Amino acid sequence: MTHLTEEELIEHYYSKGGGTASRHLEGCAECAEAYAALRSDLAQMMPAEPPTRDASYGEQVWTSIASTLPVYHSSRKHWMRIGLWRGLSYAALCALLVAGAFFAGRQWERGRQPGKAEIPPSQTRQGVILVVLSDHLDRTERLLVELKHVDAGSAEMVSPLRDEARSLLAANGACRRNAAQIGDPALGTALDRLNPLLIEVANQPESMSRATLARLQNEINANGLLFEVRVLRSRIPDHKSAAASQLNGGTI
Amino acid sequence: MLCMGKNDHATIRAILAGDKEAYGELVMRHSQSLFRVAFRITGNEADAEDVVQEAFLRGYRKLESFESRSEFGTWIYRIAVRCALDRIGGHKTDETSRVAEVTDPERDGVQVADRAAGPDQLLLSGEIAAMQQAAMQSLTPMERSAFVLRHMEDRTIAEIAAALGIEPNAAKQAVFRAVQKLRLRLSALRMRI
Repeated sequence: MTHLTEEELIEHYYSKGGGTASRHLEGCAECAEAYAALRSDLAQMMPAEPPTRDASYGEQVWTSIASTLPVYHSSRKHWMRIGLWRGLSYAALCALLVAGAFFAGRQWERGRQPGKAEIPPSQTRQGVILVVLSDHLDRTERLLVELKHVDAGSAEMVSPLRDEARSLLAANGACRRNAAQIGDPALGTALDRLNPLLIEVANQPESMSRATLARLQNEINANGLLFEVRVLRSRIPDHKSAAASQLNGGTI
Repeated sequence: MLCMGKNDHATIRAILAGDKEAYGELVMRHSQSLFRVAFRITGNEADAEDVVQEAFLRGYRKLESFESRSEFGTWIYRIAVRCALDRIGGHKTDETSRVAEVTDPERDGVQVADRAAGPDQLLLSGEIAAMQQAAMQSLTPMERSAFVLRHMEDRTIAEIAAALGIEPNAAKQAVFRAVQKLRLRLSALRMRI
């Protein structure tokens, strides 16, 4: 039989019994005797009761050390907490200022410029008319240029000009009315003078005689139609800019 | 006890926020338990009182490192044990003169268990207390502290290891060696008496 060592007996004593050591002690007289001796020795080492300290002892201790203790005003955690809150406050203030400046800027911009919503419907319509007129004059200018240089015997050349003249003739009527609406008599007069030429070209047969072509070219030159169309067209961009400015609420 | 811990945590927050006086509450709350363990390790009142003061001073300086998940009572108790260990480690007293002092029943009155006993019993009690003191003086500071915490304060090996800042196995060995030495010393003193 292997007996318990002193260390095992000590461990058993402080573990308050139980386990394999306890079972061994029940069956081993030698170890039981050794354990009894250990208990007796340790029982003699009973804790001495400390001298009593009255209720004011804690206060006495505090009084003796209080004056030597620094105040924790410069506590790192404390300052970190303050710094965190201060940082958050600054961030919130900055966000508020940015939002306020943005809102004020928008309000100021609206106050300074009347805005799109205030454009009268008549101005909007005028802008559309100018765009249509510009397109009409472009096409008319191209037609007149081509008429001046076309070969009278070529049906392939004359036929597209005749179709274009028919299309322009339909549009010219509308543009004349539009010119009256926007109050531009010079434009109206020019479109009126253009109208007979367009009628004549639109009603030409597949092939055009040289005499007819010469007469039409002469008419264009004599009346200065091409020049007039170019002048009118050069005036249109000003109208378009103004119209676009109005359509965009006054901003360019 | 749990409620006490919560109060301690609130008090510590107040101290770290600048309320120094709040530390007084902690000192008053834990002074008695610190004095008890300090006295058992150092073996005399004066040293125990010094240990209590030093423990609270060290605790205040380290208060920022105190982790709120632990109990302040346990934390300051460990500091007091370390202070007591330092104290007995720094006091290299002459063992024979110390034994002579403590065998004097007049000077060792606080160790006597039964003051109402007769002269013979009083003398016997004084002799037993003197034997204990002499035996305790034979231990190293670490062994003595480990033994006090295990035998008198009923602390577990893990708690002793944490308080003394050593490994649990080292704490266990310190307790074993202390018991072995004490038994040897007591047996020799019995022969002399």
